[in-house]
Amino acid sequence: MRRRLRWIVAVLAVVVTAPACHGRTYHRHPPVATQPAAQVQQPAAPAPEGEAAPPPEPAPAQEPAPPAQSQSDKAATLAVTFETGEVQAVLGKDVRSSSDEDMGRLVDVVVDRQGQPRAAIIDFGGFLGVGSRKIAVDWGALNFAREAAKGVITVELTRDQVKAAPEFKEGSPVVVLGAVTGPQPSPSTPAPLPPKSSQPQER
Amino acid sequence: MKLPVAPQRWEDYGSDGEGVGRAEVEQRSDMRPTAGEPPHPSRSSLFGLDWFVFFVANVQTGFGAFISVYLTSMAWTQVDIGIVLSAGSVVALLGQMPGGAIVDAVRSERLVAGIAVALIGASALIFALWPNYVAVLGGSVLHAAASCVLGPAMAAISLGLVGYSGMSERLGRNARFGAIGNFAAAGAMGTFGFYISNRAVFIVTAALLVPALIALAFVRTSEVDPERAHGGQPEQPPQRPLSSLRHPTRRWPLLIFSLSFMLFQLANTAMLPLMGGVLTMRSAQWAWVLIAACMMVPQLLVALVSPWVGRQAQSWGRRPLLLIGFAVLPIRGLVFAVVHDPNVLVIAQLLDGISGAVFGVLVTLVVVDVARDTGHFNLALGITGTAIGVGATLSTTLAGYVSDHFGSGTAFLVLAAIATLGLACIWLLMPETRRDEKTPPHGRDPAAASSH
Repeated sequence: MRRRLRWIVAVLAVVVTAPACHGRTYHRHPPVATQPAAQVQQPAAPAPEGEAAPPPEPAPAQEPAPPAQSQSDKAATLAVTFETGEVQAVLGKDVRSSSDEDMGRLVDVVVDRQGQPRAAIIDFGGFLGVGSRKIAVDWGALNFAREAAKGVITVELTRDQVKAAPEFKEGSPVVVLGAVTGPQPSPSTPAPLPPKSSQPQER
Repeated sequence: MKLPVAPQRWEDYGSDGEGVGRAEVEQRSDMRPTAGEPPHPSRSSLFGLDWFVFFVANVQTGFGAFISVYLTSMAWTQVDIGIVLSAGSVVALLGQMPGGAIVDAVRSERLVAGIAVALIGASALIFALWPNYVAVLGGSVLHAAASCVLGPAMAAISLGLVGYSGMSERLGRNARFGAIGNFAAAGAMGTFGFYISNRAVFIVTAALLVPALIALAFVRTSEVDPERAHGGQPEQPPQRPLSSLRHPTRRWPLLIFSLSFMLFQLANTAMLPLMGGVLTMRSAQWAWVLIAACMMVPQLLVALVSPWVGRQAQSWGRRPLLLIGFAVLPIRGLVFAVVHDPNVLVIAQLLDGISGAVFGVLVTLVVVDVARDTGHFNLALGITGTAIGVGATLSTTLAGYVSDHFGSGTAFLVLAAIATLGLACIWLLMPETRRDEKTPPHGRDPAAASSH
């Protein structure tokens, strides 16, 4: 956080216009002498937004200059604007199977040491909060595009596949259900996850 | 006047209730008759109390495990949800005794109950409208604190209306209306949550405040004798606060009873969630239906059985019923531990209705017995409530731990063992607290009391 703040201040002079960074930390640096329009971003979607929900790929900041245009996948600079519908916050979103079964809600994201998302924790089953279980499913098994308009995430697993998965508990080995189709959805992988090989679909 | 041996059936107040008019009530309050005379509350008051209990059960159902579902859908993290829920349960625990003491101190139980239920409605509204951290945390604490007052206040209104002689029947009826309220609310919440939104559930919960208050307005304050409501003798308010509850003949049963019910809750609270998790594991498609059945069907059984429990508590005494209520819990735990067929699990869950009915009637009833004539009925209720709360709070933690390390089967066995311990407590140590009016109070020999 600290690091990022400092970096924000550094880049400030180059790229950002005043409204892009709101208030408190930055007002000592008036928006002097920035190149006006060129690569300036929309004032919306400032950096702090990134912390809220999905892992925003912090993207080490060696090359401060050309802010990747908003369409590109990787956020290379501080402020990138994504069109509505292009990205979404995922916490609390409904998760459904491809056959439209209710799979619960996404309640947490598990990342590896590099910060890459590896699994989504889904609060599965239950009635009025009783009897639900938290289950980790492979990040690659999630599809964020298909039902995005409805605010729904789909997962390439069925209820029957995930029902017997061990409950996710912080501090104990995480068993991640993969997207492999087969008799057994391989609930066997302990903490050091094997390289993800079984993602049929794109991110 | 002497107490009728068989208590009058207040259920049938339709026939005799209205005949006793307000004039007579006022006359009684002038005369301050002997403690034994059963009061004759009006039909309107009893009707109001019935439905107040019903709507309060409605309102309270929204504040269970569902909070976590709702906040999850509002993009809350699990950590924050955990903090909010813990804050609520800590307040609920610490507030029991102060809550009871407040109700003992006030002169208008109806006003207190009204304020408490209004605050609970307000916290539901906060949940619905401002699901941000500070507001929800505040709402959760507000709800817990208000509940600590509301429970004793309802019991006090009941006791103030019907007096000692009618209390067991009255509690049976309260338990019935509460169970129907729980049943209806769970069904309605499931429907609203599914077809509209989780937020709608809390808006409806807040709206139920209105019928609850209307029902409460039917209770006539003049008929709720404050002394009686606090478990005091009508003619002489207690002189030394608290001291009478400390008397060994009262303290001992209260202690044993609280301990037993702490064990009961320690075994009971986690059983349904744990079993729900097992159902979710076993039967992915229909688990939620089975869990809904497990939550709702026992309520129907409670509604059916509890008036009978109330009557039998008077004719059989408290002990046999307590033994029944405590005995079914270990059985349920054992069945959950060894049987794997989901349908059998649901049937075994019906046993919860039996202990639920016993619990619903006898907790308050035994406390009434024990605290009789002390003027501290509600404080005593708070003491028992604290013990029960401790049991309930530790239950899920314990069951979760055992289940994680040794499997759910072992967890059920552990819970069953704890329940057996509670049963043993009741069996071996708990005296019969029903009074015959002929034998001296707290029939158990004082030797047992002084030995501790």
